[in-house]
Amino acid sequence: MESNKKYWKGLEELNKTPEFVELNKHEFAEPIPIEEVLSGTGLMGKTPRRNFLKTVGFGIGAVTLAACQKTPVHKSIPYLIKPEEVTPGVANYYVSSYDGQAILVKTREGRPIKIEGNPGDVLGQGGVSAQVQASVLDLYDTNRLKGPMQDGGDTAWSSLDSFVKAELAAIKASGKQIRLVTASINSPSTLGVIAAFAAQYPTAKHINYDAVSYTGIIQANQNSFGKAVVPHYRFDRADLIVGFGCDFLGSWLSSAEYTRQYASKRNEEAIESKKMSRHVHFESGMSLTGSNADVRIPVKISQQGLALVNLYNEISGTTLPGSKKLGNNVADNAITLVAKELLAAKGRALVVCGSNDVATQVLVNAINSLLGSYGTTIDLDNPSNKYKGNDADIIALVEEMKRGDVGAVMFLDANPVYDFYQSSAFADALKKVRLKVSFNQYNDETAAQCNIVAPNHNYLESWGDENVLEGYYTIIQPTINPVYDTRKAEQSLLIWSDNAVKDYYTFVRNTWNTSLLPKGGLAGQGGWETLLQNGFIKVADKPATPVAFNRDINGVAQTILSQGAKLAAGEGKLELQVYENNTIGNGKYANNPWLQELPEAISKVTWDNFVAISPKTAEDLKLEEGDLIKITANNYSTELPVLLQPGQAQGTISIAVGYGRTKAGKVGDMVGKNAYPFVSLTNGSFQGNAVASIEKLGGDKIILAQTQTHHSYEGRDVIRETTLQEYLKRGEDKESEKKETYDLWNDYDRPQYDWVMAIDLNACTGCGACVVACNAENNIPVVGRDEVRRRREMHWIRIDRYYSFDEKGKTVTEEKEINKLEDLDHVSVTYQPMLCQHCDHAPCETVCPVLATTHSSEGLNQMTYNRCVGTRYCANNCPYKVRRFNWFNYWNDSRFENYIQNDYTELVLNPDVTTRFRGVMEKCSMCVQRIQAGKLNAKLQKRPLVDGDIKVACQQTCPANAIIFGNKLDPNSQVSKALKSERTYYVLEELNVKPGIGYQTKVRNRLPTEA
Amino acid sequence: MRNISLLLKQFSRSVLLVAGITAMGFTARAQGDAAKGEALYKAKCTSCHKLDVRMTGPALGPTITSETDDKWLTKWIQNNQALIAAKDPKALKIYNEYNQAGMNVFTELSDGDVANIITYVRDEYKKMQAAPAAGAGVAGAAAADNSPSESMIFGLLGVIVVAIIVILVLSRAIGTLERVLLKRKELPADEQEALAAEEADAAPVDRLATVKKLAKNKKLVFFFILAGTIAFASWSWVGMWNTNVHQGYQPVQPIKYSHELHAGVMKINCQYCHSSAYKGKNATIPSLNVCMNCHKVVKTESPEIHKIYDALGYDPGTQKYDTTKARPIQWVRIHNLPDFAYFNHSQHVKIAGIECQKCHGPIQTMKEVYQYSPLTMKWCIQCHKRTETGFKGNAYYDKMTEVHEALKRGEKVTAAALGGLECGKCHY
Repeated sequence: MESNKKYWKGLEELNKTPEFVELNKHEFAEPIPIEEVLSGTGLMGKTPRRNFLKTVGFGIGAVTLAACQKTPVHKSIPYLIKPEEVTPGVANYYVSSYDGQAILVKTREGRPIKIEGNPGDVLGQGGVSAQVQASVLDLYDTNRLKGPMQDGGDTAWSSLDSFVKAELAAIKASGKQIRLVTASINSPSTLGVIAAFAAQYPTAKHINYDAVSYTGIIQANQNSFGKAVVPHYRFDRADLIVGFGCDFLGSWLSSAEYTRQYASKRNEEAIESKKMSRHVHFESGMSLTGSNADVRIPVKISQQGLALVNLYNEISGTTLPGSKKLGNNVADNAITLVAKELLAAKGRALVVCGSNDVATQVLVNAINSLLGSYGTTIDLDNPSNKYKGNDADIIALVEEMKRGDVGAVMFLDANPVYDFYQSSAFADALKKVRLKVSFNQYNDETAAQCNIVAPNHNYLESWGDENVLEGYYTIIQPTINPVYDTRKAEQSLLIWSDNAVKDYYTFVRNTWNTSLLPKGGLAGQGGWETLLQNGFIKVADKPATPVAFNRDINGVAQTILSQGAKLAAGEGKLELQVYENNTIGNGKYANNPWLQELPEAISKVTWDNFVAISPKTAEDLKLEEGDLIKITANNYSTELPVLLQPGQAQGTISIAVGYGRTKAGKVGDMVGKNAYPFVSLTNGSFQGNAVASIEKLGGDKIILAQTQTHHSYEGRDVIRETTLQEYLKRGEDKESEKKETYDLWNDYDRPQYDWVMAIDLNACTGCGACVVACNAENNIPVVGRDEVRRRREMHWIRIDRYYSFDEKGKTVTEEKEINKLEDLDHVSVTYQPMLCQHCDHAPCETVCPVLATTHSSEGLNQMTYNRCVGTRYCANNCPYKVRRFNWFNYWNDSRFENYIQNDYTELVLNPDVTTRFRGVMEKCSMCVQRIQAGKLNAKLQKRPLVDGDIKVACQQTCPANAIIFGNKLDPNSQVSKALKSERTYYVLEELNVKPGIGYQTKVRNRLPTEA
Repeated sequence: MRNISLLLKQFSRSVLLVAGITAMGFTARAQGDAAKGEALYKAKCTSCHKLDVRMTGPALGPTITSETDDKWLTKWIQNNQALIAAKDPKALKIYNEYNQAGMNVFTELSDGDVANIITYVRDEYKKMQAAPAAGAGVAGAAAADNSPSESMIFGLLGVIVVAIIVILVLSRAIGTLERVLLKRKELPADEQEALAAEEADAAPVDRLATVKKLAKNKKLVFFFILAGTIAFASWSWVGMWNTNVHQGYQPVQPIKYSHELHAGVMKINCQYCHSSAYKGKNATIPSLNVCMNCHKVVKTESPEIHKIYDALGYDPGTQKYDTTKARPIQWVRIHNLPDFAYFNHSQHVKIAGIECQKCHGPIQTMKEVYQYSPLTMKWCIQCHKRTETGFKGNAYYDKMTEVHEALKRGEKVTAAALGGLECGKCHY
């Protein structure tokens, strides 16, 4: 499995730019100017005796004064009446639900501090995404609204209620329309409240509006099968997945669920049973999903439709009128090849497309129906309810508002003034509405245009329910008293509609008692309590009903092809695509500092969006990394820096949405630029494609806070990969016997435990959920854009993303050859989560002058903060580059106040983990607090520790189950078994540092012709 | 200060007693035997009733004194359930007033017994009503008893120090002035010399000579300097080691809670109040509802207990809680570990079975709690090295082979032997 393939993290590393070489000489970006002092005037310069005495005198005086501080008196304030279930110092877990996923909320002394997956969850089975992990931070966000507002000023709930009721009564009398604009709602109780509201105000209508729309799929299924739904895709049943511009592992539909499904076909079990799935991906911009594909073919946006038409032709054996070759040999060949494979994998294949175009999705339906995917890999009978928006509704609303027909409009989790494609038109139309109500938790772009702001509770403060998947009902329960003077939006609607049920909790109870509990075979108080223990009810899946696709495809193909032709960029123009990334998503999470600082999966950029462009195209246009360019399309233009993205289809650019918020809050304001106006309304649905012209602007280059080459191995071999065929052939050419090694160090005793980890590179998709989970668990500070630029990000676990070439069967061995390569379109990507390896012969331990980092008898490399004096030798000596230095006192420094350091947000801290002070080194502790807690728990229960008692934070959240932690001395533990895999290797094993984390080689399911 | 208030309390009690005895002399005209009644009252009634205030049942003093129908009263006391069953209007009224909580039935009491009790209650209540006049005077005295506060003492000390400094400075100034005056006196030169010679003669030449001689002995000087250096170094060494060690720290607490009384005299198990010590990392100061388990009834008159009532917004008269008046009690934390040290009580108390006293000292004799142990890392480590782990009967340790091997070799299995000295056990 060893190869001489060259891996590189960024173009600067590939090209060995002088800046890169210079920066990599140093462990830290800005070295302390010791040499300057030694060689310059520093030591030679004369210090007059008086100055010396003055300094010494002042120093002694200052130190003495500082030491004169009285020992602070600590107050201890017990509960007046302690809730029975609370034991100070012991965490309580409550079931809840976020984004339709059943979760567990960890609370300490009544405050939620961490989100964990509910092991029973149907979607993630215990795995949750970075966004879910980060959602707990929003609870304590100081930028949330602190109370109700009227006309921009604070008001009281009672006066707000009487005003709104009077207004609504007047509007009802005048017969004007009332509109409730929300992000897609699948909560049975909320829908019940809205229905009750509509019964009271007959002109009221509910509009589901999604910033990133899925109308294309819904309409296509309506057209094809008469079911206006988003189907439930089953990647765990697909042996062959073919994706067209569809980031299903990153941001598309239900990414955490798909990650779990996808990984279940690519993990150790799947490989050993020879059932590993194969994934071929066609896309223009490099996405998380594309980077994980076995074969990724860059295709221009304008040609995506054509590629689908060709695929249909190949599969059906017909030729749709107007179809032609792409003129791209690689893609054309791939389509022919994939078509054959798809036909061979009938009933086990799945074709997905990320387009929001109805015609394109109809064609995808046609292909899937030819492949017999319905009932196997696509479930139309138990559809997803996550997205329900119909783009026509919101367009109609704007027209209605313009005409002055709308008397009242209410917004719940919807922010169209920011994310509508013609936001200014929306804002103008909104001005004609008499009563504008925002339930949003922030005074965001839309709320600022509303005369009434009735802020909603955070989900952790309120009751609620969700039904994200047909037959899957989850409950949301409050875990804390409302932090601010907010009120559940449903409660407001109940009050305004004079409902007989006065509070929303009773409403939720009624909904469950009457219709939902019986579905799960539960009833009454007992049933309710069971629900609050389990968190969800799952009704057995409805059996698949046969569907028949019999629509004329010719017309559809014409629409697709003509639209593709319109997108084809002329001379000097580029094809623009906007996309949703896997960090801040559609902009909803823009004010979450954990997500802003989470490096975006592919580009590894934090705190910004940018224009991704192919290096070849950039060269043609004389653009360099960091150049500021002006992009103009759809009568909108904005200025963004250039990022050279290997794998990007030539002639195309990609820009992430969700940035450029103006009223998100302290964290998210003015981060990046808004890309929503590039969206256009085409054939009745919103599509993020356009033909753009660009113009290079002068001025300094912009340095993006990009982490990709911050921790470099100087080209050492850290990644191993192979192809499935080669891997299965193994044994024929077994490696020669183990090389003899010599140790300078003595071996450690391992009396009880040897905590180790196994990370499966083949399961890891690089989504970054582990990074945010680690942030939350270990009180890791957020440092901000400027500090990330200085290579000072504090994340204990990082996902290294490596590029390598796959060039027609050749592996590139020589650097000279690399330089000869012209285009960087065909790169393959490998992810490697990198964290402290807890080496048995740890190089960091040997160099610490104060023994602040030591080895435990359980195989942990311990970091003792109170001993550390900050020499940073350990970081210098760490071959894995996983040690982080506290350059500032991040928890008590006004410069970092924007992020987590304030009275409210500090409540999210894990009280079992120390917050580190300035001048102290830190690194992954393998969640030693969880290890200790797990052992303590076993001791209290007087039983031996069993495998699985202790789960570290990154392992627990991983939707792909790529990380396994456990005791190596227990031969039956999961981790021992995982490490026995023949794919296991240790990074930089040759240094004989004996790392404790074994990685499993990446396996690509490539055909010999592609390899 | 506390002693004074105790004295006053005792004094007020004796005043009450004298007043009571005097009152008894005038009111000994009841039919029953008050002494027998007292014994019965204490045995049968006090768990639910008090004389002056409402408890589980009504305040007996006013109720029985105002009740004229002794026959009905006797029936009620003997068997109230029968009266209620018979739908007696008076009985039903009381029954409903107290949330239909039935009173115990005392059929074993004879009519005479009941009469004794009634007599005792009526007498006792009269005494109580006579007492407040005296009591008010005592309370006034108690309120006036405000010994000088700490700040005043420090203020006075400060004034004294300043005064001493002023006196010293002034005397120096006077001395200087005198010398100047002496010099100003135009004395003939020879006279001055004579004066100087006189002064020289007066000086003890011998002693100075010895000192000078000794000062010239280099070895001796070296010895003294060395001794001085060592003394200073060891003093500062000890001083620095004990920086931030607050052994003996005994702050004044907002409520004069006595562990001596509760844990020592009453022998209440530590776990009753500090139950968290057996479950989690914090021992915790108990929440006030734990106090109320007993103090809803016990010592309800104490001003210290009233602090609990005030904190809870509890009105002992109506037995109602008013949460709007509730405000938490701010205790002063005595045992402060730095944030970077993780300590878990349950690990030590429940698993290792260590007595609370091992770290907290003779808590059952402490009127006011003070920090008994130094709480330094050295102290932790010493104990980890010496103490055998309480692994017996705990299946967690069953699989640990090295525990068995160590036992076979006849070694002690200490916390240290199980890795209890590793940094990462407490610092993370």
